[in-house]
Amino acid sequence: MSDHSAWDEAVSRFAGINGSYYRRAFRRIGERRGYVPSFNVAAALFGPVWFGGRRLWSAFWPVLVADLLAAVLIAFALSGGASGEQGARADRLATLAATRLAEARTANDADPGSAMAKSLTRSAAALEQAAKDARQAAEDARSGASLIVAIGGGLLLLARLAAGGLADHIAERRFREWRLEGDAGKAGFSLLHAAGAAGLLAVFVPIVFLHFADRTLFDAVPSDPAWNSAAAARLNAGVAAVSGAASPVAGRLTAAIDAMLGLMEGILTGTPWPVVMAVILALAWQLAGFRVFLLTFVAVSYLAILGYWEKSMQTVALLGTAALISVAIGIPLGVLCGYNRRVAAVMRPLLDFMQTMPAFVYLIPVIALFGIGKPSGIIATVIFGIPPVVRLTALGIASVPAAVREAAVAFGASRTFILFRIDLPTAAPSIMAGVSQTILMCLSMVVIAALIGAKGLGEDVLHALQYAAQGQGLLAGLAILLCAIVLDRIVQGRQSP
Amino acid sequence: MIELEDVWKVFGADERAILREARRDAPDEAVLKRLRAVVGVAGASLSVGKGELVCLMGLSGSGKSTLVRLVNRLLEPSAGRVRIDGGDILSLGPKALRELRSRRIGMVFQSHALVAHLSVRDNVALPLEIRGVARTKREDRADELLARVGLDGLGDRRVGALSGGMQQRVGLARALAADPDILLMDEPFSALDPLIRHDLQTQFMALSRELGKTTVFVTHDVDEAFRIADRVVLMRAGRIVQTGTAEALASRPADDYVRRFVRNARLPACDAQPSARVRAFA
Repeated sequence: MSDHSAWDEAVSRFAGINGSYYRRAFRRIGERRGYVPSFNVAAALFGPVWFGGRRLWSAFWPVLVADLLAAVLIAFALSGGASGEQGARADRLATLAATRLAEARTANDADPGSAMAKSLTRSAAALEQAAKDARQAAEDARSGASLIVAIGGGLLLLARLAAGGLADHIAERRFREWRLEGDAGKAGFSLLHAAGAAGLLAVFVPIVFLHFADRTLFDAVPSDPAWNSAAAARLNAGVAAVSGAASPVAGRLTAAIDAMLGLMEGILTGTPWPVVMAVILALAWQLAGFRVFLLTFVAVSYLAILGYWEKSMQTVALLGTAALISVAIGIPLGVLCGYNRRVAAVMRPLLDFMQTMPAFVYLIPVIALFGIGKPSGIIATVIFGIPPVVRLTALGIASVPAAVREAAVAFGASRTFILFRIDLPTAAPSIMAGVSQTILMCLSMVVIAALIGAKGLGEDVLHALQYAAQGQGLLAGLAILLCAIVLDRIVQGRQSP
Repeated sequence: MIELEDVWKVFGADERAILREARRDAPDEAVLKRLRAVVGVAGASLSVGKGELVCLMGLSGSGKSTLVRLVNRLLEPSAGRVRIDGGDILSLGPKALRELRSRRIGMVFQSHALVAHLSVRDNVALPLEIRGVARTKREDRADELLARVGLDGLGDRRVGALSGGMQQRVGLARALAADPDILLMDEPFSALDPLIRHDLQTQFMALSRELGKTTVFVTHDVDEAFRIADRVVLMRAGRIVQTGTAEALASRPADDYVRRFVRNARLPACDAQPSARVRAFA
C-alpha cells in the first residue's frame, strides 16, 4: 500500500496541477492492455499550448504543424482561394488582349490585310479566350473555397481529437521516463513554456492570414544575390590559389596515376585477348569457385560478342586503378579511425561529405587541379569510392574484442603483431565488405569519369545519352554492370555468400 | 617471486591530482567526485613466494582484477613498486617489458580472450609465435600442452566450436605454452557452470602442484579460493583487508567484512570428510 501512495505522490508531483485527474487517468491506462480511451479536454482545447506547457515536445510539434496547416487552408479559402489569383490573371490577359487588338487595328489601318495585322488579330482572339477561361476558373475556385474551408476545419478538429485522445497516454509514457530518470527531471505544468507555445501560434497564425490577404507581403524570401556571388567569388579565388600552389604536386600525382593506369591498360589490352580471357576465367575458378566461373564465362562472352571487349578492358583498368588506390589509402585510414576516436570524429563528416556531395560539384575543382583526362576521372572516382572501405575497416577494427587484444599484449605482442595477426584478420570480413562496396561505388562513377575524358564503356553510355539511343545505352550499361560484378566476386573470393 | 610495494592505481583525467587526494588520511569524496576519480588499487603491498599460489579475493569492484594487471603492467601503476625476482619491472623499456611478458608470465582471462580466426592449436601456440619460435616447434609444443589439459587431438578445431569449459582449457594451455614461471589468472573459472568449474579446479590444482608455478589467482568465489590457494588475500575498495591461509581467515577474520565473506565458506577438508572443527566455522 505504501508503494501505492508513493506512486500517487509521484504522479501528483509529475502533474503539478490537476494531480487527481492524472492519478485516475494513469491508473486507468495502466490497468488494461492496448488502447484505453482517455480524453484530455484541456489538451484538445488548447492543443500546442497544452503540449508545450507539459513539455511533451515530440507531440507538440506535430500538433503545431497540424494547426498551422489548418490555418493555411482556411486562410487560403477565405481570401477567395485560387479565385483571386485566377481573377487577377484574367484581368491581366484581358488588358493584354485589348492592347493587342488596338495594335492590330493600327496595323490594319496602316496596311490593310497585312500578315502582321492578321497575326495580331489572331493573338488578340487567343488572349481573349484565355482570359475567359481564367475567369471561368476563378468562378470555379470561388465555389470550391467553401470545400477547402471545410477541409481545413475538419483537419483542425481531427488533429485536436487525436491530441485529446492521446494526451494522457503520451503524458503517462513521459511520466515513466521521468521516474526512470530518478524523478529529477522537469515536471509539472510550465506556464513559461505554455506562453512560449502560445507565442509561436500568435506569431505564425497571423502571418498565414496576412499572407493570403496580401500576397506581396511574404512573397519573396529576403535574399541577397550579392552575398551569393561574393561567396562564390571567394571560393573561386580559393580553388585557384590551391590549384596554383599544389600544381607541382598535382602534376606528379597525375603522372603517377597515368603511369599506373597505363600499365594496367597495357596489360589488359596489349596482351592478346584469348590470353586475357583465359587468365580471367582461371582466376575466377581458382579464387571464387565454379559458380563465379560460370558467371564470369557469361559476362566475358557477352562483352566479346557484343563488341565491348576492348572498351570493357579500358573500363576495368580505370575501375581497377581507382579501386586499388581507394583500398590502398582506405584501409590504413580505416585502421587509424578504428584505433583513434579523435581521428574517427574528424573523418566521419569528411566521409559523409565525400559520399553525398554530387560528383559534378567536385569534378570542377578536380579538373582545375589535375586537368581533363583519365587521372582526373580516377581521382574523382577515388573520392567517391573511398568512404565505404574506410568506414567498414574502422568498424571491423573497433569491433575486435578488447579482451583478445589485451591477451595478446599480456603475452608480449608488439603493436605490429597485434595489427597484422589479431586485428586485421579478425576484421577481415568487414574489410572485404568495404572493398566490395568500394568497387561498386567506383563502378557508378564510370559514366561521370567519361564526361571528363576517361575512355571505356562510360563513353558509350554517354553517347547513348546524347543521342537518346536507349538500346545502345542499356547494352553498354549492362556491360559496366557485368564488369563490376565479376570484379567484385573474384575479389571477394570463396567466402562471399 | 613477485613483490608489490604500496602500489596504487587510480583512473581519471588527472591521475596525479587524484592520487594526491586519495593518499590523504581522509580523502575528500567531493574532490574525488569532481575529478571523476575511480580508485582501483589503494596502497596494496603483497609478496608472492616462488611456487606459491595466492588467491586475490573480493567483491566486484574491489580492485582484484586491477591489482593482478599491475604485475605485468597491463595497467601502469600510478605509484608504488613492482618487482619480480628483485628486478624492478616499472623501469623496463617497451622491448624489455615485452620480453618479460612473453618469457616469464602467462595469463588466463575470464572471457577466454581466444583469437576467433585461429585454430585451437594456433591459439595455444600464440605466445610462442609472438616470441618468434619456428612453426613446427611451436606446434609440437602446443599439441603437448593440449594433451596435458585433456584436449587431445582437438588442435585443428575452430575455437568457436568448443564449449566454454574447453575454451578455458585452451586459455590455460596458452598461458603455459611459453613455460613461464609466473601465472596470472583473472577469474578463469567464474563464467563456467559449477560442475565444470569443479573439474577444472581439480585439474588446475594437479597441474599447478606438478609444475610449481608462482600463481596469482583472482576469484570472487570463497570456496574456490579456499580450495586451491596456499594463501588468500582479501580485498575491499582497493585495499588489502587481510592476508592468510584459509584456516586463518576462517578462524580469525580481521573484521566484519571478512567474517561475512567466510561465513558460508567450505574449508577444503569439507570436500573429503567434514570434521567437527570445520563445521564450527560454518
